Amino acid sequence: MKIKSGLILREVADNFIVVAVGDMVKEFNGIINLNSTGAFLWKILENGAEEEDLVKALLNEYEIDEATARRDVGLFIAKVKEAKLVK
Amino acid sequence: MPRYKIADIVFDARPIYKYSASICAKYEYVGDEPSAFSVVMTEDDIAKERALAPEFPDAYLESLALFRKLCDYALENADGIIFHSSAIMVDGKAYLFTAPSGTGKSTHTRLWREMLGDKAVMINDDKPIIRYVDGDFYVYGTPWNGKHRLDTNARAKIDGICAIRQAKENVIEKCSTQEMLITIMNQTIRPTDIGQMDKLLGLIDKMLKTVKLYKLGCNVSKEAAETSYNAMVKGELK
Repeated sequence: MKIKSGLILREVADNFIVVAVGDMVKEFNGIINLNSTGAFLWKILENGAEEEDLVKALLNEYEIDEATARRDVGLFIAKVKEAKLVK
Repeated sequence: MPRYKIADIVFDARPIYKYSASICAKYEYVGDEPSAFSVVMTEDDIAKERALAPEFPDAYLESLALFRKLCDYALENADGIIFHSSAIMVDGKAYLFTAPSGTGKSTHTRLWREMLGDKAVMINDDKPIIRYVDGDFYVYGTPWNGKHRLDTNARAKIDGICAIRQAKENVIEKCSTQEMLITIMNQTIRPTDIGQMDKLLGLIDKMLKTVKLYKLGCNVSKEAAETSYNAMVKGELK
């Protein structure tokens, strides 16, 4: 699973947003707000990763238990899949 | 070729239709500064605009094509962005009201003018250009001034930006950078080129950190104007 090319994550005035550039604009014309956890997961997904990789990365980065990490990753993946941002 | 100076950018333009020349008339320039770029309008330029807004006559579409060329130049070379808003100046400072079309931006600045009389000057009622100059943000009048044709060939330092929505009661509060970021992105032209997009986001980043941000729920009344004026100009919102 990998973020489609043409979607870029940027930090603007301490906010994380994702917008489309290039040909991707035809497919996605919105703006996505991410919190810091979302931005962290997004950056990993830009290079391609599976659900297990994201859970491991989250556990490594934040002081949270595995159940919380699994739930957060599950919600994040559901959202990016629903919005067709990954392939 | 006629020369114009809009948003402190000097350029030559030869439109096909009289409409563009007539709306730009008060921005004609006869000074010594060299032109930054030159525009010779073609049917192709007009066709591109027609694809986006087929309901408009060609003369109007041409004026939009000219506006787009100016905005492209401004973002690429002059730290300038278009911001769909109604911009009013009071005591030398500018206040910008933004919202989707039809919400009542123009109506709200009209209420300010009714309250303040000659003290209030319209910079632009629809499509002003904003530029980042020496650490501050300025709003500039442009001929693309909305259906009430309100603009002044002038610039003013931006003190505050206010996102408005219709409401029964008049309430103003501080706006988060997150909310205003989305608002601005929806009320500007978003480039598709990644380099231009980064320039745009860089300018918005600085603007969100530099100017005061508000959000206003308002009706159409004198009290609506007083609510925003007291907060934004008199600084009564703590």
